[in-house]
Amino acid sequence: MKRKRAPRRDPTTAHAGRLQWLAQALLIVGLLGLQPALMLSWLAIGLTVLAGLKLLEAKQLGERRLVGLLQMVCAGVLGALQPDLAPSLLQGLAVCLALAGLLALEAGQGPDWRMLLRRSLQVLTAALPMALALFVLAPRLAPFTPMGHLGAGIATIGLSDTLAPGTIASLAGNSSPAARVSFGGGEPRAIRERYWRVLVHDRFDGQGWQSSPVSLRARTKAGDGDTAGEPPRPTQATEQQLWTAEASGLPPVPWDGRSQPLSADLRITPLGELVHRGRPSQRRLYALSSDGGPGEDWRRAPPDPWDLQLPAGANPRLEALASDWRSMPPPKRLAAAQAWFRSQPFRYSRSPGTLPSLSPLDAFLFERQEGFCGHYASAFSALMRAAGMPARVVSGYRGGDWVQPLGGPGYLDLRQNDAHAWSEVWIKAEGWIQVDPTTWIASSRGGGLRAGTRVGGIGWLERQWWALDIAWSRWWLGFDRQGQEALLQRLLGEHRNLVGILVISAVGLGLAGAVGVLGWLRRRPGGDPPRREIERCLAALARRGFVPEAGDTLPRFTARLATSHPSLATRLEALITPYQHWRYGPGPRRPQEARNLAGQLRLQRRELERTLRREAQRPHGEARRDRPNA
Amino acid sequence: MNFGPAQQGEILSLGMRNLYIVPTRFGLLWLAGIGLLLVVAIQLESNGPLLLSYLMLGLFLLALHLTHFNLQGVEVRCGQPAMGFVGDTLTYPLRLRCRARCEGLRLRLGKGDPDAARSLSPGEHLLSVPWQSQERGRRRPGRLRLLTTAPLGLFVCWSRWDPPVQQLVVPYPRRGPVGRADAPGLPEGDQDSPQLSPGDGDLWHDLQPHRPEDGAGRLAWKLLAQGRGAHAKRFAAPLAEVPLLAPATGVPLELALQHLCAAILRLHGEGASYGLVLGGTTISPGQGVQQRDRCLEALALCPLQMR
Repeated sequence: MKRKRAPRRDPTTAHAGRLQWLAQALLIVGLLGLQPALMLSWLAIGLTVLAGLKLLEAKQLGERRLVGLLQMVCAGVLGALQPDLAPSLLQGLAVCLALAGLLALEAGQGPDWRMLLRRSLQVLTAALPMALALFVLAPRLAPFTPMGHLGAGIATIGLSDTLAPGTIASLAGNSSPAARVSFGGGEPRAIRERYWRVLVHDRFDGQGWQSSPVSLRARTKAGDGDTAGEPPRPTQATEQQLWTAEASGLPPVPWDGRSQPLSADLRITPLGELVHRGRPSQRRLYALSSDGGPGEDWRRAPPDPWDLQLPAGANPRLEALASDWRSMPPPKRLAAAQAWFRSQPFRYSRSPGTLPSLSPLDAFLFERQEGFCGHYASAFSALMRAAGMPARVVSGYRGGDWVQPLGGPGYLDLRQNDAHAWSEVWIKAEGWIQVDPTTWIASSRGGGLRAGTRVGGIGWLERQWWALDIAWSRWWLGFDRQGQEALLQRLLGEHRNLVGILVISAVGLGLAGAVGVLGWLRRRPGGDPPRREIERCLAALARRGFVPEAGDTLPRFTARLATSHPSLATRLEALITPYQHWRYGPGPRRPQEARNLAGQLRLQRRELERTLRREAQRPHGEARRDRPNA
Repeated sequence: MNFGPAQQGEILSLGMRNLYIVPTRFGLLWLAGIGLLLVVAIQLESNGPLLLSYLMLGLFLLALHLTHFNLQGVEVRCGQPAMGFVGDTLTYPLRLRCRARCEGLRLRLGKGDPDAARSLSPGEHLLSVPWQSQERGRRRPGRLRLLTTAPLGLFVCWSRWDPPVQQLVVPYPRRGPVGRADAPGLPEGDQDSPQLSPGDGDLWHDLQPHRPEDGAGRLAWKLLAQGRGAHAKRFAAPLAEVPLLAPATGVPLELALQHLCAAILRLHGEGASYGLVLGGTTISPGQGVQQRDRCLEALALCPLQMR
């Protein structure tokens, strides 16, 4: 006879197949948000495609297992690329499904969806304490190689290295999110003070302002102002700011110009830019502490020759105006410029049209007299340079909406249309001081700057979601190497060398707990409460060697036992009769009745166990002689 | 994985001392996956892959115990195996008693493939494991291997046992010439010897109440259809006509035994009486299941060299 070949596709893996396809679909959705310029994105894409192809052709157990593993690794790599709340939820779900798929592969015939789901949750929950113990306590390694700015140059919406307002006809009303910040102590300051600096433009070519090249940002005079290295430990009293800056394509991130960086990823340049070492093509998360300190050192960094640079003759009327002020002491020059601006009929406009490429600032100051913050900041800075004062343009954000979500702490929401530009002027006695020429216009003419706005519907939902997102960032993404160090310091103090023992014992405890609980769940008899009591009775009888024979019914087994062991007869009768009556009697079985019966059976079971113990204490031979199955 | 001393004895009681457990190849791949995620997590200083890698490590440690739990406390005994044919797929009955739920159990006898995974609830289970024998006689099915990789396939836990109960394996029935003890062998190709047949369905001469062992072949269907009850036909079977089967001469012994087996099964199916003379053994003519089994057993146990 020929042996029948087993079918190649095992029908018992049907559940597993569906679960794995679901996990695959979630992973593909997760891929949609990736930046294709990153190498790691291609690793994630490659792994997902590989898992998909394998899933298509997988017929045997080993191949299907491999699919499950690939899916879990994919989810992990995606987690590194997209650490935010929504993608993390998606990745978590994909991991659960992949795990359920693996469980379904092994369980063989039988288990249904509910059972599989329960089992995956059980296993995941059991493994979680161990994972969390390792996550929180196991010391973390520093990156093997510095990442650098992998994604520099990726175009994203927002601020730009170059500020040439004359070339912009109108500002688009772009309300996409720029950054969010939450403060330890609630809403921090009045709206006027909310200047969040990002980029400093110190190169002027007569038309527009540029930032120094990235390589020059850490230039020679950096030594004194660079705060890279071990960040200062925050004291308990400081107010911590937690920032979430959306992808901008630029290494500098928004800050208030006076706080202290709390992580080694951050560095304050001598220009007063806060540079984040993370990839600018991704959302960046960082913490600042609001107490003073070296955070404001940049204000004292003396100007460079190019802070006075002004192409001669590019804007002759501007130069002529400023030359009148050259003889005044520096603070007076500032006051004179302010007075001149206030005396002219300037208007704020988001769509002033483009300026001529020849002498654009002259055209703005003396002809059009209409523009937005970029026009005012560049014209004012150029005027100051012409008047012999080092000046530069700063771009960043101003204002923002304070959002108080339904639950949790409030946060400040910065949008791209909160983008703003202002000037900085060097006065020897005071250092770099901030001057916002737009306020001379906007505040008197009203408008231009956005105060708190009301949103409804989807906007409201979005803000609630962001509140959740901030909590997630604070508790999950914010727990980095430094956070862990601080925690270990608090836990162990002087005894840092005990961290190994702490990790091992925490994991051991987690494992013992998990194994204990799962073992108990496994041994726990199934069914309704009375059934469980009966199963416990049978287990107690089995421990004494009284085992039903194949095909025995409960009454037949107990009757046989009662005949051979008359001492057990009454106990068994008291157990079996009410159970049989409840189980097979007429009428519906109500949960309350089941509970009552279970209580009654429990008492009888204890009596039975007592009788069995007494029985066991009888002389050995006597006890053994009358066992039914001995 | 397949190593470790095989257990002996009537009952196999699985516990710490006779269960072996090692990571599967998938388990090692899993560790490699953990390594990859750790590298990603460290290099990108990302919490997601870090927690996932620790979670996978936790699952790995947990799976070690859960896989072991599956077989721990399982008791295995042999059932009563029914006879089967050489080269055919035989089923070897096993009785398993599980104290707790046993997941993903696979059984394998001898060198066969492990059967599909099954999950057993606590209690007694009667399982049959397929195996094949290429030799007749009373055969032990070879080494039983119980293994499981549930719940995650990261570890394989197994035990090995030599089931002591033998299964009777009879020669595979093959149509061919058989001899008569009192006559020379029938010519080859004469497969439906008229002497061996008690006649077609109409040549019966008596009825008796039908007993289950009479089989369907002797049931008087017409009477049953007429509603006159189940009766078995009794055929005219004069003593001289009862065949006393013997191996055909000039045919190799094993082949002759196969022919005899086919003849016995056919005669039994027809409800005829027959006897068997095999070497020194003579089984007097008779009919019924017991007669068939007696004859088949004699075929199975026939010594290689007949006197």
